[in-house]
Amino acid sequence: MTFSAQILRTSAIAILAVAGMSSAYATPIDPAITVAVAVEPDSLDSCDTQPAQNANIARGNIYQSLTHVKPEDGKLEPLLAESWSQTGDLVWEFKLRPNVKFHDGSAFDAKTAAANVMRTQAGFEIDGKATACLNSGQIPEPVQAEAADDLTLRVTTTHPDPILPLRFSYIDIGGMETQKTAQKTTRPVGTGPYRFVERIQGQHIKLTRFDDYWSEAPQVKDVTYVYRSDPAVRAGMITAGEAQIATAISAQHATKDDRTVEFKDNRIVLYRLRHDKEPFVDPRVRQAVSKAIDRDTLVEVLMGRTGGPWYQMLGPQVNGYISNFDSSSLSFDPDGARELIAAAKADGHDVETEFLIVTKTDLFPGSNEFVQAIAQYLQEVGLKPRILSIEMTAWRTYLRQPFPEGQQSNMLMISHDNTSGDASFSYPRYITCKGTNSSTCNTEVDRLIKEADAAQADQRAQLYQEAAKILHLDEMTMEGVAEQVQLMMLGRGINYKPNPLTGIEILISDVTVTD
Amino acid sequence: MVTFLRGRLLSGAVTLIGVVVMVFFLARLTGSPIDLFFPEGGTEAQIRAFEQAYGLDQPLYKQFLIFLGNAAQGDFGDSIWQQRPAMEAALSEMPMTLALAGIAMVVSVVTAVILGSIAAAYRFRRPDRIITILSLIAGSVPVFWFAIVSILIFAIQLQWLPTSGSYSWKSWILPVATISLSPIGVLTQVVRGAMIDVLTSGYVRNARARGFGSLRLIFRHSLRNAALPIIAVAGDIAASKLNGAVIVSVVFAFPGIGRLIVGAIMARDFPVLQASIVLVGLAIITLNLLIDIIYMIVDPRVRLS
Repeated sequence: MTFSAQILRTSAIAILAVAGMSSAYATPIDPAITVAVAVEPDSLDSCDTQPAQNANIARGNIYQSLTHVKPEDGKLEPLLAESWSQTGDLVWEFKLRPNVKFHDGSAFDAKTAAANVMRTQAGFEIDGKATACLNSGQIPEPVQAEAADDLTLRVTTTHPDPILPLRFSYIDIGGMETQKTAQKTTRPVGTGPYRFVERIQGQHIKLTRFDDYWSEAPQVKDVTYVYRSDPAVRAGMITAGEAQIATAISAQHATKDDRTVEFKDNRIVLYRLRHDKEPFVDPRVRQAVSKAIDRDTLVEVLMGRTGGPWYQMLGPQVNGYISNFDSSSLSFDPDGARELIAAAKADGHDVETEFLIVTKTDLFPGSNEFVQAIAQYLQEVGLKPRILSIEMTAWRTYLRQPFPEGQQSNMLMISHDNTSGDASFSYPRYITCKGTNSSTCNTEVDRLIKEADAAQADQRAQLYQEAAKILHLDEMTMEGVAEQVQLMMLGRGINYKPNPLTGIEILISDVTVTD
Repeated sequence: MVTFLRGRLLSGAVTLIGVVVMVFFLARLTGSPIDLFFPEGGTEAQIRAFEQAYGLDQPLYKQFLIFLGNAAQGDFGDSIWQQRPAMEAALSEMPMTLALAGIAMVVSVVTAVILGSIAAAYRFRRPDRIITILSLIAGSVPVFWFAIVSILIFAIQLQWLPTSGSYSWKSWILPVATISLSPIGVLTQVVRGAMIDVLTSGYVRNARARGFGSLRLIFRHSLRNAALPIIAVAGDIAASKLNGAVIVSVVFAFPGIGRLIVGAIMARDFPVLQASIVLVGLAIITLNLLIDIIYMIVDPRVRLS
């Protein structure tokens, strides 16, 4: 081979190698992706983003909020508000981000922000018609919102509310046209990186990149959301290349490679006991229920990588979680459980009363077997459970106060998440005497939670944790069984790192695609 | 003929009213949409306004009378969740349901007639035994299992067909196959039985003695006489497919009224539920009428009686 031929050959190899490398790592221009979700959204209105099926599509993609919880550390960060401050006991001011546009071209300003806050609240009326926003629970006490100037939102609360900026991370901001009517919009307009293109009921929702987005433009251009209720089909769509992201994958459909990614979102599988009805009137029986359940085996066998044994109501990133909790008095000890039940019986308690284990059909993937196993554990220590598996509306009659007259004694299975990091989104509803979802009534718990609601930072966390100790060690009406781990699948070339907020917001702007 | 049709239409109308009454009251026994529509903390004012908007503040008998009055004018109210008229939501799903049911029935009947006739012609011999075993399997396989397995094989492993959705003609293959499977199994056995009766009758033996070929004898002379039980069973199966082929809708995410009805039940969207049931009821009554007419065409004795 001559010298020139060698040079030619070497050059050709080098060119081919570079070409090969560049094609292996090529970044496609304006890629389009399909996301397979389990449930079709009920509503795409900005004031209805609380349910996960609505939030998964709309939050952070179409709509944005004034503040945002950083998934990495749970701290609050600016989003549509650049800063905020408390200017009086009851007054907060939010300085809004300038030069932000809605998808319809209108400018984002304090008037629009105020209108969104007002419309979201329970009891607010527009032209004599009451609004019915699913986000209204995020503002439990009425607030008054007004524009102090174009870019300053002033909010006056009824009571001191140290976590108002955190609450506003759940209030999504929609365009002004929607705020003028109580009716829910079907053509959402927000400030997010993606604008709405079309929705065909029962089939799909399409979004496309918003060219006038105020921040960095995302890589993915077009997104199509499709609804597939069966986890096998969702997983199959990834394998077949029909979808690039699939949510809520069950353990048996998960792949063992890096296409299946997992995340924790502070979601706990709990049970709640009706302590006002036998056999749960005596706290010893309530303790026996916890001791009867072998959480380690139950979770390992039936949840696999999608769960871990758990004893508290809240997840580790929430300030009501007790980090050094001693769960020994609640852990598996069937003989101890039998002794406690016998002692309660000797004191005249009717421990042989039949009770219901009430569960939802969609509590979590594989929950039916999970609940059957719990029933067997309870039978083995002498209790008489009967499983009642029902759908959401019927299940809610067991969850919410006031309980119907003559409702049978029950152990209610709940899957509860708290992505805010603050126990005020859980405890007041679930463990206070007047809580809508509570079957607990302990005056000390109520006092501690009331004090905590008005306190800040470490003191707030300490008070919540004291209330949690009473709940878990004295009341024992609401105990954790498993910490859930969520699975999702990614298609080839899709890069997305799930985080604790992924359960309620899958930011397409965080998705990158390599060819 | 006119008297017969008038009688059929009348009984159809009575059936429809019965179904509407049942759906109206049974749906309301399952709970209120307020429990789903309103978050915790919904105020009394909000709930009252919602009840007024959807007429839920009236006593049940009044709600029913108002519903009947409006429904008679074609007004089934607005969907609670979809922000559009309930009948519009139901009508938008109906074409796909009719198309899917229609294609599945054509596939089922044609396949069953061919297989059933072959089995009858070769009765008690190997082709008959094979077809009988296969048709029994087809009639017994759980639809849900077949749907998932067909997705795993044809969409995921072989990647010949899409897993779900309704994007192209390929999307129709697995849903049609899934809802045709059981009818093919049942109808093949019906065709076989009916054809054996006819093929062993005197006139067929006579025709065979006169030198008529097998194919002509089976498909031209025998099939028409065996058609009545086939039409009766096929009609029943077609009516059940009009109910929406719910499993197909759910597993394959295929649009259709079945999925809409299930969604409306879960969401307590009473207007959509009522509109959908009325539409399906109308379709089934029309189908039954068509089957009666086909009966009369195929067998003149039905007309006389």
